[in-house]
Amino acid sequence: VGIRVPHGARCLVAGIDLVRDADGTYRVLEDNLRTPSGISYVLENRAALARVMPALSARHRIRPVHHYASSLLASLQSIAPKARGSKPRVVVLTPGIFNSAYFEHAFLARQLGAELVEGRDLVVESHTVYARTTKGLERVDVIYRRVDDAFVDPAVFRPDSVLGVPGLMGALRAGNVGLANSLGCGVADDKAIYPYVPALIRYYLGEEAILSNVDTYLLWEPEQREAALARLHELVVKPVAASGGYGIVMGPQATDEQLEICRKEILADPRAWIAQELVQLSSHPTVIDGRLEPRHIDLRPFVLSGERIEVVPGGLTRVALPRGSFIVNSSQGGGSKDTWVLAEPELH
Amino acid sequence: MLARHAEDLFWAGRYLERAEDTARLLDVTYHGLLEGGASEAGMAWQEVLDALQLSHLFRARHRHVTAEAVEAFLVLDESHTSSIAASIGRARENGRNVREHLSTELWEALNSTYLELRAEGRAEELAAHPHEFYRRVRSRCQLVAGAAAETMPRLDAWRFLLLGRLVERAEMTCRLLRVRAPRAAGDEHQDEIHYWLVMLNAVSALESYARRFGAEITPTRVLELLVLSPEFPRSVLFCLRAAETQLGALEGGVAAPSVRRALSRMRAELEYQDVAVLLERGAEDALERTRRGIAQIAERIETCFFATGPSPERHVYESI
Repeated sequence: VGIRVPHGARCLVAGIDLVRDADGTYRVLEDNLRTPSGISYVLENRAALARVMPALSARHRIRPVHHYASSLLASLQSIAPKARGSKPRVVVLTPGIFNSAYFEHAFLARQLGAELVEGRDLVVESHTVYARTTKGLERVDVIYRRVDDAFVDPAVFRPDSVLGVPGLMGALRAGNVGLANSLGCGVADDKAIYPYVPALIRYYLGEEAILSNVDTYLLWEPEQREAALARLHELVVKPVAASGGYGIVMGPQATDEQLEICRKEILADPRAWIAQELVQLSSHPTVIDGRLEPRHIDLRPFVLSGERIEVVPGGLTRVALPRGSFIVNSSQGGGSKDTWVLAEPELH
Repeated sequence: MLARHAEDLFWAGRYLERAEDTARLLDVTYHGLLEGGASEAGMAWQEVLDALQLSHLFRARHRHVTAEAVEAFLVLDESHTSSIAASIGRARENGRNVREHLSTELWEALNSTYLELRAEGRAEELAAHPHEFYRRVRSRCQLVAGAAAETMPRLDAWRFLLLGRLVERAEMTCRLLRVRAPRAAGDEHQDEIHYWLVMLNAVSALESYARRFGAEITPTRVLELLVLSPEFPRSVLFCLRAAETQLGALEGGVAAPSVRRALSRMRAELEYQDVAVLLERGAEDALERTRRGIAQIAERIETCFFATGPSPERHVYESI
């Protein structure tokens, strides 16, 4: 779309969902490159655990995560228009208080020292973005947006969107404002792209992926579709364009009727679905009604890109709270746990 | 700061003050009647509605002006914006919109006030122990104000919150006084004095009054204390002075100088006002003029600080 991005950093904040299979191998379950959420839980869980169990935290050499906001701010400032000097103005763009991640948007804005804005707080004039402040219009240099692509600019995308900023696309193309993550990142984390990621890594980087994928059937390939349909009751079927755990069919737990509906939907539109082997997610002792019980978990580490790339040493461990459930999404009632990366032991 | 945030803070301040003032007014009216006999009951409640300029809204919902109906209307009825419950609800809603500008203590005070008012059994409690109920609303609002005063940095967020409170309080004091103003000029009947007592009580001014003027209560002195006192924190002059300070310290504002001038002119007018002259020329008119002046200043604060930039509808996509 003709938008150049400083040092090619289009996806400033990524959250990669990892699972551990029955052999103990870490695998990538999916990529989240649009507006991944959950970092506020990472930071709040850590703070809560340190308050509740200070002795436990003190006994281990835990790598800190509390510098996240300053790393994020550095990444965001790195995509400001060059001519804007050393103190670019960063804002966090939220859909508003009714969004389920609003807490996180406000949390990050507070930590970043940035204004938390909604679309109606921003104005574009002469391809430049301004915030409506009590002192009049003030220029905005970088927008950390937590609004989906389609809603970002009603003048270009969905005209009914009240969440976006009319004219923002023009400002982006003129290079007058930085936007994180860039528009179109959703193409890269689409579940139909996921099966090709190992090949992309091989082609562009000449390396093998360190973390392998979960075995995936491409349902638009006739042979793979046949094989998958024959074993539908053992597989997990996911819609390619959805997120948040919506629309997933878990083969082993589905009724015959649900599987039949799923089969028909796949045949009607094979490109809209992928099927994956069911990963026996690793489990972790979890306090349920005052007792420890095993519950399934996955892990979402966060990756910040800017002038350099940083993997946050920690992550969001999500836990499926109903017994036996594999669905960890917070939108489906999942919980979360503090997650440590230990530093190398000190050498004496 | 963002214009929208400033607006939310300003209105959070106004709604908080409105809730507190309404609770005060209802409390003293209720107890004033207990002490002064029930003969005037209907009139006293009608005056409450008149003072708040809500008579019309009330008539649309209730046929008779009774204590129960007025209390139901002004306390828990959320179908209009002037009840205590609706005011606290809006103050909290506005606070939530600007959560990142509030100190955690202020937010918790505001949120718990809201939750307490929504808890079950409020209607029964109000019916059984009205004084306890009103006192709690009042002290809750004071807790919020205290948390703000003790934990908010003296920056624009604080100033807008306080400006909202001051403007609302000044306007409310004018309204309360105006209702009885026609009878303030001449005679000092026993039942009139009773009313002024209630009035002083409503704004926690009885002790200040007694210290300054002694126990004898005259309308002139009540007006002097509640309109023209530079020391009493709920007097109109006091509120305007404080608002002037906050407005002066605010950064920017496209037309800020003209708002400041209007406020200063009004403050100066009261500063040099003689209460005898005020009564002579008709207290009701003077109070209504002052009230309207305050309302205009509030409107000008809104257009000056909250309505920056072009309206969103005007934008047309410019291709590049």
